[in-house]
Amino acid sequence: MKTLLTIAWRNLWRKKRRTLITASSVMFATILAIALMSIIEGWKDEMVESIISNTTGHLQIQDVLYHDESSIDHALEYEEEVKQTVAKYGDDIKYTVPRIEGFCLGAKDIGTRGVFLTGILPEKENRMNDLSSRLIKGEMFSADDNYAVIAEGVATQLELSTGDTLVLIGQGFQGMTAAGKYKVGGILEFPLPEQNNTMVYLPLKEAQYFFAAPDRLNRLIMMMEDEREADRLAQQMQNDLDDDWYTVKTWEQLMPDKVAAFEARDAQVKVFVWVLYIVAGFGILGTVITMMHERLREFGILLSIGLKRTQLAIICMLETIFISFIGVITGVVVGFPVIYRLHKNPIPITDDDLKEAIIDFGLEPVFSFSAEPGIFIYQAVTIFLIAIIVGLYPVQKVFRLEMTDSASN
Amino acid sequence: METVIKTNNLSKVYTDTAVPVHALRSVSLEFRQGEFTAIVGPSGSGKTTFLNVVGGLDKPTEGHVIIDGVDIATMKESKLFDFRLRHIGFVFQAYNLIPVLTAIENVSFIMLLQNRPKAEMEERAKQMLEQVGLSDKLNVRPAKLSGGQQQRVAVARALASKPDFVLADEPTANLDTESAFNLLDIMAKLNKEENITLIFSTHDQRVIERARRVITLVDGAVDKDETFNREN
Ligand SMILES: Nc1ncnc2c1ncn2[C@@H]1O[C@H](COP(=O)(O)OP(=O)(O)O)[C@@H](O)[C@H]1O
Ligand SMILES: [Mg+2]
Repeated sequence: MKTLLTIAWRNLWRKKRRTLITASSVMFATILAIALMSIIEGWKDEMVESIISNTTGHLQIQDVLYHDESSIDHALEYEEEVKQTVAKYGDDIKYTVPRIEGFCLGAKDIGTRGVFLTGILPEKENRMNDLSSRLIKGEMFSADDNYAVIAEGVATQLELSTGDTLVLIGQGFQGMTAAGKYKVGGILEFPLPEQNNTMVYLPLKEAQYFFAAPDRLNRLIMMMEDEREADRLAQQMQNDLDDDWYTVKTWEQLMPDKVAAFEARDAQVKVFVWVLYIVAGFGILGTVITMMHERLREFGILLSIGLKRTQLAIICMLETIFISFIGVITGVVVGFPVIYRLHKNPIPITDDDLKEAIIDFGLEPVFSFSAEPGIFIYQAVTIFLIAIIVGLYPVQKVFRLEMTDSASN
Repeated sequence: METVIKTNNLSKVYTDTAVPVHALRSVSLEFRQGEFTAIVGPSGSGKTTFLNVVGGLDKPTEGHVIIDGVDIATMKESKLFDFRLRHIGFVFQAYNLIPVLTAIENVSFIMLLQNRPKAEMEERAKQMLEQVGLSDKLNVRPAKLSGGQQQRVAVARALASKPDFVLADEPTANLDTESAFNLLDIMAKLNKEENITLIFSTHDQRVIERARRVITLVDGAVDKDETFNREN
């Protein structure tokens, strides 16, 4: 076997330039593919982070029925069982963010408008998504205040400003009427219209009182130390909680359409990457075919003097694998430091319109790159597969080679 | 002396041509241990076909090739590979050597495929290269050797593993006169010293007289089979 390795390795360097050109085509394909996957992954990481901090958190405990029917009646009771379970996994959970929420009617004088009322603990929200930074007027309430902070769109449509009074009418827990008058203490601006035109915030306690649901929550959001542990933790917490009442959901379960969208794009990128590799694969194949045909006589003689077909096939396969790996390894060696630097220092986006749109979206205005090892491993595995497929060409040739055709003079 | 190869009514007809070609017609020959034989005849007379069939590289249309009591004409390919490796040495007209291996690695190659012990192998390879006058070229690759030197390495390789016999198809065809004589002298010397049966083909009058037995083929049939008493 060592001899076969030696022969295969040395064969590569018989035509140095050709080998290097082939290996570089693989190298460039690898670098391109890595860059492409890295930027898409980086973008996805940003999006996921934005979804997690702006919307779902890592995990949520909800009433079993709430996800399918978002009614205030399906608010969970924030009682000992839940508190203890959360405390039990204190090592995994960084902090929790409780919310109670529901649609209701906002009114001022004769104007009315559907709004989405959310009761929050402001310091928790600030930790999660820096809510107070969206203030354009007034200030954020603290947990014990009893005034409201509303989105800018709501303020415009109801002609409300700070100091004015907002009337809220809705449905409370188990059919109770919910009604209240609140002073507007602050106005927030959201980039997404559906938020900007509907959001109304009250301190958690005040909102629970409004909904006639003291100690109840619609979601207990949990932010984790390590988001990769989300599935495991959800499973464990679910086991500890009574599943007739409580359900623990990961952000992926809460946002299935987003997950599907990411998967669809991953698939697109993979198709692109495979196209790159197929191009590189044909490059290797061309070289392999040439290497094969210029050595048919040599092969015939090797087989005549006693080298087995399998041994010759191994030599050919090794040559293909070597060329491919020289390409992929140099590609990774060149690509990794570059990607790693870009990962640490993302490229700022300079186009002003684009920049603004991205900031509004709650994302950083940069092209961020992912340096996940998986990206690099994926290249190695894919190239290996392609090398094997390409390597099958000389292998099947070797098994069909007629010794007299190639060895005789 | 013991018979090493015996062919029985060997015939070979190529039918993939426009007109069927009778490359061998009923060739019955015996080769004994230690013989040094030239197969001669004009181009197309069947020399290569004969050596290929005897070497198990090609199947006869009819007849038998008995080596060591076995008929290799009916042997399965997988078995033949092993049989050739253990019993037969080959020297071809050109492209004999593995270009990426040095002279000594080339000479060791067959022994390596036979899984011989490393030390024995190296010693034998050195000894053989010395015998063919190339002890100063052990670590040189074929491209750096002259045509004659390359053929000498090929002869050293064929004999190094001590096969039952060596077949050489026009080993001198690409060589100048001096190198051709030199190669034949070395082959004759090794034939004597190692007592290995050697059969080579040639259409080159210059080298025929080095052989002790000369078999002439005409149109695939044995025309003459002469033995000479020569001191090489
Ligand atoms: N593979 C083949 N297919 C068809 N005809 C062949 C083949 N090999 C050899 N021949 C024919 O068989 C005859 C003998 O050829 P060969 O043994 O090569 O002769 P020599 O080696 O003496 O020149 C020639 O007529 C040649 O054309
Ligand atoms: Mg010939």
